[in-house]
Amino acid sequence: MSTMGATPARAGAAGEQDPSRTGMLVFIMSEAVLFTNLIAAYLYLRFSAVHWFPGDVLPLYLGLPAANTIILLSSSIPVHWATLSIQRGNRRNLIIGLALTFIMGAIFIGGQAYEWTHAGFTPQGSVFGSTFFTLTGFHGAHVLVGLTFLAVTLVRALRGRFTAEHHFAVQAAGWYWHFVDAVWVFLFGSLYLL
Amino acid sequence: MSSRSEAAPAEPWGSEGLLSWLTTTDHKRIGILYIVTSFAFFLVGVTEASLMRWQLAQPQNAVLGPEQYNQMFTMHGTTMIFLFLMPMLTGLGNYVVPLMLGARDMAFPRLNGFGYWLFLLSGLFLYSSFLFSAAPDGGWFAYVPMTDRAYSPGRNIDFWVLGVQLLGVSSIAASVNFVVTILRLRAPGMTMNRMPMFAWTVLVTAFLILFAFPSLTAAASLLMLDRFLGTLFYSAPAGGDPLLWQHLFWAFGHPEVYILILPAMGIISEIVPVFSGKPLFGYIFVAWSSVAIAFLGFIVWAHHMFATGLPAAVQAFFALTSMIIAVPTAVKIFNWIATMWGGRIRLQPPMMFAIGFIALFIFGGMTGISVAVVPFDWQVTDTYYVVGHFHYVLFGGAVFGMFGGLHYWFPKMTGRLLSERLGHVQFWLLFIGFNLTFMPLHLLGLMGMPRRIFTYLPNLGWDIPNLVSALGVPFIVLSVLVFLYNVSVSLRRGALAGNDPWNAVTLEWLASSPPAPYNFAEIPTVRGRRPLYDLKHPDRPDAAPRA
Ligand code: HEM
Repeated sequence: MSTMGATPARAGAAGEQDPSRTGMLVFIMSEAVLFTNLIAAYLYLRFSAVHWFPGDVLPLYLGLPAANTIILLSSSIPVHWATLSIQRGNRRNLIIGLALTFIMGAIFIGGQAYEWTHAGFTPQGSVFGSTFFTLTGFHGAHVLVGLTFLAVTLVRALRGRFTAEHHFAVQAAGWYWHFVDAVWVFLFGSLYLL
Repeated sequence: MSSRSEAAPAEPWGSEGLLSWLTTTDHKRIGILYIVTSFAFFLVGVTEASLMRWQLAQPQNAVLGPEQYNQMFTMHGTTMIFLFLMPMLTGLGNYVVPLMLGARDMAFPRLNGFGYWLFLLSGLFLYSSFLFSAAPDGGWFAYVPMTDRAYSPGRNIDFWVLGVQLLGVSSIAASVNFVVTILRLRAPGMTMNRMPMFAWTVLVTAFLILFAFPSLTAAASLLMLDRFLGTLFYSAPAGGDPLLWQHLFWAFGHPEVYILILPAMGIISEIVPVFSGKPLFGYIFVAWSSVAIAFLGFIVWAHHMFATGLPAAVQAFFALTSMIIAVPTAVKIFNWIATMWGGRIRLQPPMMFAIGFIALFIFGGMTGISVAVVPFDWQVTDTYYVVGHFHYVLFGGAVFGMFGGLHYWFPKMTGRLLSERLGHVQFWLLFIGFNLTFMPLHLLGLMGMPRRIFTYLPNLGWDIPNLVSALGVPFIVLSVLVFLYNVSVSLRRGALAGNDPWNAVTLEWLASSPPAPYNFAEIPTVRGRRPLYDLKHPDRPDAAPRA
């Protein structure tokens, strides 16, 4: 990510706005296509299968994932608030917002880890298990990237690196986090609810 | 990220010597690194191909054993596509696009360097498999279940899945950079509608990569999990589905062929107008036909799977889309011909390669339409007919386009002209050798010779076409050697090129040859589609197109 946001050494002529924004959006778009492919693979396998759930794991326990979903989705609010705050030059709220988001994301990952270790089925046992662990695993890896991104941004915020004019990294971290959230909506829908 | 400097930072290791190349972030140097490296991989790919053709020159030959033969065609295909054509076109784009746009560099110079080094690393990684006698051997599309751990227990396929995934990351990095550069760094006045056609095709290609490579990443990740962790995605007995691999792979693989051909079409669209002394005919149509090809390119993938027993309606759909995609392709061809029509044509080497491209690509396009016809495809699928078809578009198309581009931009990159005489020799050797090698393959396919067999019995009627095909290879090899000789001699003793040796019309020819590190002392303002023409003829500039 830091490579992408790198300052263009010899920026061209037309760029009135920071080209890093376009770069980040394009990158996220490509990531979204990756998840589209994974979800499509899941749907393909699921709807061509004769038996989907291996007899012993039905139904999926919903309580923890549902709580986790609520936590992850609401974590988009503080990061948005953090961006709004730094746009107005408020560094204190920036730091609070980033920290809150980080904590909520970490809780989500903790919940996922619990679910993985208590699942009662394995990736090797059934195609259902393979898809479940792979899709949540891919998403979890992206959450970890998002958390790293947030942590780095938080450290820089603590050092006072952002101003009302210069805070693209905050925005980029926010976009990435929203993206990770949005993907989860689709994963939760197809893995748990469908 | 937040602090940005106005002036170009000095290259930390100076501007000369090896270290300066290892640490460079200059788009021109990175472009040259890409071009030189991928050309080296081309030579490797040609060597592998020559061994295969030698093996097949006679029935029951013993140049290569069956296992070696499998490794040869797998590494040949993988090399030509991932390690040669893609990075070669990335290299040309890297060098030329910022100059054409009147920019000082790519949008993200360090990301650019990262993309190159990752490409080199992945290439070396793939080839390191030979050291362990475990070169990938599953074909360039690595079909499961053959590539599952059960049937490919060795490390061979592991090298392949990891290698192509790393290459995917490198291509995505380069594509993000191209998209942002082209959308955001154009010179004042250069609207999309005035952009050179090569920049258009590089932009469309970058979007294709961004949308197509994730399918490969997904396919390869699932295969990796199946192989390393024992998941069951592709395992039919357990309820997985091997066809899932084919869907995911070709959802990448078919756009991939447009990723390979579109930039070459862009090169042709630059060369043809300049050497015909006319503006490109039907600019809008040529530009938007690329976009149409890109869209259609995503809904034709299952034409690689006609033999798998898809439902009839699905087959009909994919046959139809595959035929429709010929329309925007033909639009381009007609526009190139219309551009030449009535022009003052200069048959210099870049133009020779452009004309060669058009001729061979038409032929390859025709055989392409023929295999879109489902019953015919059932007859020839997995035969040498298909091998003939795709070499006409990939080699006759993309490689001729690339040579055209290299001849065209060599003077800009080096400040010296290539020998035209040697250029013509190279062209004719390649043209004759190419047709000798690949025309007979169609015949072999119709006679039922399957692809990917390491040998065959005599008296099947396959002996003579195979021999002819093998005899074409020395011409191709000689042609490549003539090119290398031409480059090495011209680098030292070629005539000085000056800024604009071809009387061209785009901005890269405004910069000095080779350009200064910052490209332009002053960024030009653009008023039309042929900015350099306008500068050269202030009295009668082009009518400005709508902004
Ligand atoms: C010297 C020129 C070349 C020769 C003699 C040559 C020859 C061959 C032969 C004989 C095969 C088929 C092997 C088999 O099915 O048993 C093959 C496969 C292939 N070639 Fe080439 N080729 C050449 C150049 C190229 C170029 C320039 C490209 C692409 C840019 C290319 C791409 C491929 C691909 C993708 C395959 C399929 C590999 C597979 O089956 O997995 N070739 N080539």
